[in-house]
Amino acid sequence: MKKNQYIGRQSMISRILNPKFIMVYATIALFLIIYLFGALAYGNKGFTTLRTFTNLFVDNAYYGISAVGMTMVLITGGIDLSVGAVASLTGMFIAYGTSVLGLHPLICIVFSMIVGVGLGLLMGWVIHYLNVPPFITTLTGMFLARGVCSLISRESIEIKHAMIDALSGWRVNFMHLKDGQWVKVKPTAFINFNVLLFIAVLLVGMYLLQRTRFGRNIYAIGGNEQSAKLMGLPVGKTKVLVYGFNGMCSVLAGIAYALYVKSGWNLSLQGAELDVITCAVIGGTLLTGGVGYMIGTLFGVLLKSIIPALITFNGNLLSWWGKIATGLLLLLFILIQKIVVSSSGANKMKSKAKVTKE
Amino acid sequence: MKKRFDFSTLARSKVTWAVVAEALILLVCLFVRPDFFKISYQPTTGMLYGNLIDIVNRSSEITIIAMGMTLVIALGGTDLSVGALVAVSGAIALKFLRWDVTIYNTPGDYTVYPFILVLFVPLIVCTLMGLFNGFLIAKGDIQPIIATLILMVCGRGIAQILTNGKQFTTQYSPFRVIGQGSLFFLPMPIIITAVVIALVVLFVRKTAFGTFVEAVGINRKASRLSGINAQMIIFIVFALTGFLSGISGLIYSSRIMSNDSNNAGLNFEMDAILAVVIGGTSMTGGKFSLLGTVLGSIIIRTIVTLVYYFGIASEATMAFKAVIIAVVIVLQSEPVRNYFAKRGKAKAMLANGGMRG
Amino acid sequence: MPENNLLEMKQIEILFPGVKALDKVDFSLRAGEIHSLLGENGAGKSTLIKCLTGVHRMDTGTITLQGKEIHPQSPQHAMELGISTVYQEVNLCPNLTVAENIFVGRQPMRHGQIDWRTITKRAKELMARFHLNIDVSRPLSFYSTAIQQMVAIARAVDIKAKILILDEPTSSLDDNEVQLLFGVMRELKAEGMGIIFITHFLDQVFAISDRLTILRNGHLVGSFDISEISKVELVTQMIGKDMNTIFNLRRADVAPDAPFMLTASHIGAPGQVNDISITLKKGELIGFAGLLGSGRTETAELLFGATRMTSGQMELDGKQTDIKKPYDALMRGMAFCPEDRKRDGIIGDLSIRENISLAVQARRGFLHPLSLKEQNRLADKYIEALGIATPDAEKKIGELSGGNQQKVILARWMATDPKVLILDEPTRGIDIGAKAEIQRLMLEMCGNGVSVIFISSELDEIIRCSNRIIVMRDREKVAELDGETCTQEKILSIIAEGAATAGGEAQ
Repeated sequence: MKKNQYIGRQSMISRILNPKFIMVYATIALFLIIYLFGALAYGNKGFTTLRTFTNLFVDNAYYGISAVGMTMVLITGGIDLSVGAVASLTGMFIAYGTSVLGLHPLICIVFSMIVGVGLGLLMGWVIHYLNVPPFITTLTGMFLARGVCSLISRESIEIKHAMIDALSGWRVNFMHLKDGQWVKVKPTAFINFNVLLFIAVLLVGMYLLQRTRFGRNIYAIGGNEQSAKLMGLPVGKTKVLVYGFNGMCSVLAGIAYALYVKSGWNLSLQGAELDVITCAVIGGTLLTGGVGYMIGTLFGVLLKSIIPALITFNGNLLSWWGKIATGLLLLLFILIQKIVVSSSGANKMKSKAKVTKE
Repeated sequence: MKKRFDFSTLARSKVTWAVVAEALILLVCLFVRPDFFKISYQPTTGMLYGNLIDIVNRSSEITIIAMGMTLVIALGGTDLSVGALVAVSGAIALKFLRWDVTIYNTPGDYTVYPFILVLFVPLIVCTLMGLFNGFLIAKGDIQPIIATLILMVCGRGIAQILTNGKQFTTQYSPFRVIGQGSLFFLPMPIIITAVVIALVVLFVRKTAFGTFVEAVGINRKASRLSGINAQMIIFIVFALTGFLSGISGLIYSSRIMSNDSNNAGLNFEMDAILAVVIGGTSMTGGKFSLLGTVLGSIIIRTIVTLVYYFGIASEATMAFKAVIIAVVIVLQSEPVRNYFAKRGKAKAMLANGGMRG
Repeated sequence: MPENNLLEMKQIEILFPGVKALDKVDFSLRAGEIHSLLGENGAGKSTLIKCLTGVHRMDTGTITLQGKEIHPQSPQHAMELGISTVYQEVNLCPNLTVAENIFVGRQPMRHGQIDWRTITKRAKELMARFHLNIDVSRPLSFYSTAIQQMVAIARAVDIKAKILILDEPTSSLDDNEVQLLFGVMRELKAEGMGIIFITHFLDQVFAISDRLTILRNGHLVGSFDISEISKVELVTQMIGKDMNTIFNLRRADVAPDAPFMLTASHIGAPGQVNDISITLKKGELIGFAGLLGSGRTETAELLFGATRMTSGQMELDGKQTDIKKPYDALMRGMAFCPEDRKRDGIIGDLSIRENISLAVQARRGFLHPLSLKEQNRLADKYIEALGIATPDAEKKIGELSGGNQQKVILARWMATDPKVLILDEPTRGIDIGAKAEIQRLMLEMCGNGVSVIFISSELDEIIRCSNRIIVMRDREKVAELDGETCTQEKILSIIAEGAATAGGEAQ
C-alpha cells in the first residue's frame, strides 16, 4: 500500500530527486529553456556565441557577489536591504579617496571593508540582541549608507588610478586553436577580475554553507530559531557573523561595480537590494528561511541577467519590458515553487510513522 | 473596567515611545529656533502656511498608504508594491488628461476625457492590482513579501508602457486642486488624508474588521477554524492598500502636475513600513495601532522638514533620518522597553506578572 | 541513600514577579533510574526542569551533579554539563535532514570540514538502535511527529548525557511508539543514565518509573518508590482531592426516539479518510477511538469542512448540507475544538474576551459587531460557568495554562449554541482536575440536547462518557460499539488486530 511506496523511495534515484533540490533543478531548467529560446530566436545575431555567455558574468558579477551574502542572510530567515547602499558607499569611498584625497585605492578598500563589515555586524547585533525586525534594521542601515554617500558628494566622481585601471582592464581572453595557432575566439570572449572575484566569493559561500558548522548553523536557525537555541547552537553569534559576512559581500560588490563603471555616484545601485533578493529567490532560496543553495543563486543571477541580454538582442523592445519580464519570471518561479512544495506536502501526509517490528 | 495609571504598561507600549520621540524632536527645535512653529495666513490663497502645516501636508502621501500598510502588517505581511502603484496611478491619470492637439499645442486647463475617469480609472486599476496581490497571498498562499515583490518589480514597467515611456504634463485646474488646492484654510492633501484616516478607522474599529485582521495575523489557521473567512480578510486588506496607493498617486502627480514613472512613489513602501513600525505595530503581525501609524508618518516627515529648515546640507537628510529612526527603533525594542518597565514600580510588575511557565 | 545520587537539587526556590513558582523543592536522581516528575499544570514541573537546564535562574538553592555544585547558565551550558532535554514540542529544525538534526552543532570534522559520511553512518546506526528503518537523508519535516520525537531523543542520547529529561515526550505517540520509547529508556537506564520523565499518562508512570516525585502548587509533596504508592493515592496526592469524587460522571441519557442530528454517509477525501458513515442523535455523545493517525482527526475535519470532502453526503438536522469551509459549518450550527490547541485553536495575543466572542462574531460577519458590552457579558458568563482561572477577561489567552486555554476554546463554541460539537482530544496535555471538568461540561451539554463527537486517545475516558463508540483504523471506520457494554479490552483488540495486519503488510 502507501507504506510500500514509501519504502521504495529510499533508493539512489530518490536521493537525487530529493525534494530539497527540486527548486535548484527548476532554476537551471528555466535558465536552459530561456537560453534555448534566445538561441532559436537570436542565434543568427550571435546569441549563442561564447561572448554572450561570458558577458552574463562580466556584466553582472557585482550582483552575483552580493547575492552570495544575501543568500546566507535569507537562509537565516532575515533580509538585508542595505546591500545596494553599502556597495554604492564603497564606490564613493574609492572614488573620493583616490580622485579627491589622492589616497591609494587599497587604503580606500580597507577602509570600506571596516565600514561595511562593521555596519553589517552592528545591524546583526541590533537584529538579534535588540530583537528589531531585520527589515527595519537594514532599511535604517540603507538610509544611513545612502545618506553618507550623499554627504561625500552629490556628483558622480570618476575614478582615476593606475591600479584601478590595471585591475579593470585586466582580462583573460578565450583562445582556440586555429591552423595550429592559438587565437582569440571571435567575437572576443573574456573573463575579468570581477568574474574571478564572483567565482571566488561563490566558492567561499558554498564551502561555508556545506562544509562548516557555521554554515549548518545558518540553516538550523532558518529552520527554527527557537529550536536552534535549545539545541545549544550559537544563534546570536552566527546571526551577527552572517550580517557581517554580507557586509563584506556588499563591499566586494561595490568594488566590482566601481571597477565596472570606473566611477562613484551617490545614487548608483539604487534598488539593487531588491534585484539581489530577486536573484536569490529565483535561485530557489525561501524568504521564510532554512532553504537555499549557492548553485541555485548562481543560476538565479544568470537567469535574471539573461533577460536584459535578450532585450538587447531583440533591439526593438524598450528596456522597461525587462522589468516586466523579471516580474513575470518571479511569478512563474513562485508558482512552480508552490506546486512543488504542495506536492511534497502531500507526500508527507502519506508517510506515516513506520516502525520495524522485531 | 478599572483603569489605573501604570508606568510599566506605559513604558511597554510602543506608541508611548513614538509620542516621546516626536515631542523631543519638536522640543529641541522649540529651543533652537522658536520661529519654526510660526503659522501665517495667506489671504490670496486662503491657506495657512508654516512648517507644522507643511509637515502634515507633505506626509499625506505616506500617511494614506501607511493606513493600508498597517493592516497589511497586522496580517503579518508587507506590501512592497505600493510605491510602484503610486507611479501607475499617476501614469494613468496623466494619460487621461489629454487634450485635442489640433486646437491647443501646449498643456493647459483642458482635458478631453471627463474628469471622473481621470479620478476613478487610476483608483480602480490600483485596487485591481491590490486584488492581484491579495489573490496570490490568499489563494496561492504565497508569502506577502514575495507576492508583492512581483508588482514592485514590474509595476514601474507597466507605468512606463502605459505612457509609452513619456512624461506628460497638464495644467487642468480641477486636477490641481487635489494636491495644491485648499479647504477650510488647510491644504487639500491634509483634508483628504483626514477623511481617509477617519473612514479607515471607522471601518476597522467600529466593525469587527480590526479584530478579524488581528486574529488572522496572529493565527490564520485558528481564525479559519473559528469560522472567519481569512481569505476574504486578506483580499479586502490588500485591495484597500492598492486603492489607498492610488489616492496617494493622484496627490503626488497633482503636486507636480505630471507623471514620473521612475521617481513617483520611490521608496514609499519603505517609508510606509517605517511609519507603521515607528507607530508601534509589530512586524510579526497581530495588534495594530492606526493612530500610531499616523504619528510615525509625521515623525518621518518632521525629520525631513527639520533638516531642510535648519539648513543642514540637504544631502544629509537620509543620514539624519537614519540616525533618528535608529534611536526610535532602539528605544522601542523589547529589551530596552523591558528595562524601562522594570524601573517602574515593583507593584506594577506584580499586576503584570508573568505566570509560571 | 544520597551517596549514590547522580543529581541533587536542594531547597530550590524561584520567584516570578508576583508568584513563588517553586518553594523550597528538593529533588534527587540516581544513576540508572527512571524518575517520574508529576503534578498538575502549573505545579512547577516545567519550572524545576527549566531551572536545571539553565532557562530560569533559581533564587536560592543548590544543584549538585555527581557531587559537584553546578550553575547551569543556558541550555547549551546544561548540555555541556551532561544534561539533555527532549521537549513535548519537537525542538528540531524541520528543514534539516534527520541525520543532521542529530549532529548539528557537534558535527564530526575531518580535515577541518564536516564529515558528512560519518554523520550519515552514525545517524543510521542510532536510528537502528531505535528500531527505526528510515532514510536519514530526508528532511525531518518529511516524517511524522512520532518519528521526529524519536530523532530528538536520539540526539539527546547521543550527546553522551548523564541525565536525560523527557518532558511529555509521549503525548503525540501511539501505543506502539510508546513501547518503543520505553524499550530505549530501559536500555539507557541499564547503561547508567538518569532519566527524568514527565508525563500526564499515569499508566506510563507505573509502567516505566522506579521512583516518582510529586509537586503541587510549587511545593514538594513527596518522593516515593513506585512500589509504595497506588494510582489512586498518587492522584489524590497530585490534586489534593479524591479521584472518585472527580470522576463521578454519568453518561448522557438519549431518548430512543431522539431525532438524528447528523448523518454522514460514505464521506471521504483523497489522502484523508475513505467511506465513513456516521449517525448522531440529538443529545448523544459518540466517541472516536483509534490510534493516532487512524483517521479520527481527519474525519472530524471533514465533517467541519476544515478539509473539503470529495465524496459522500451529509445531512444536518434533517436537511441535506454541503459544507465547503469551516464558515459553512459554523453557520449550520456546528462547532469544532481542534486537536492542536496551541496551533489551531487559540489566538494567542488576543484577550480571553476576544477569543470567546470570536466564533459568534464570525457568524454575524464583521459588519455587525458585538458591542463591547455584549462581548464582556459573554466572556464573564463563560469565565464563571467554566471556571476559567483568570484575574479578568482582558488577559491574553496565550498567558493561560493549557487547561484554561482549552476551556476558553470550549467557551468560544458554547457561545454559538451549537447543535453538534466536535471535540478533538480536548483533554490532552491538561491536568486531571481540568480533564474531569471538561468531561463534565461535555456531558452537561449533551443533557441540554447538544450532540457531541468526542475524540480521545485515552480509552477510559471514551468509555466513561460515550453512548456509542466508533473505532477507527487505517483511515477507515472498523467498528461501532455500544458505550454501556463496551470494554477497554474489546476496543484494544479491534485496534490491535488492525495494527497487526497493517504491520504485516508493511514488511
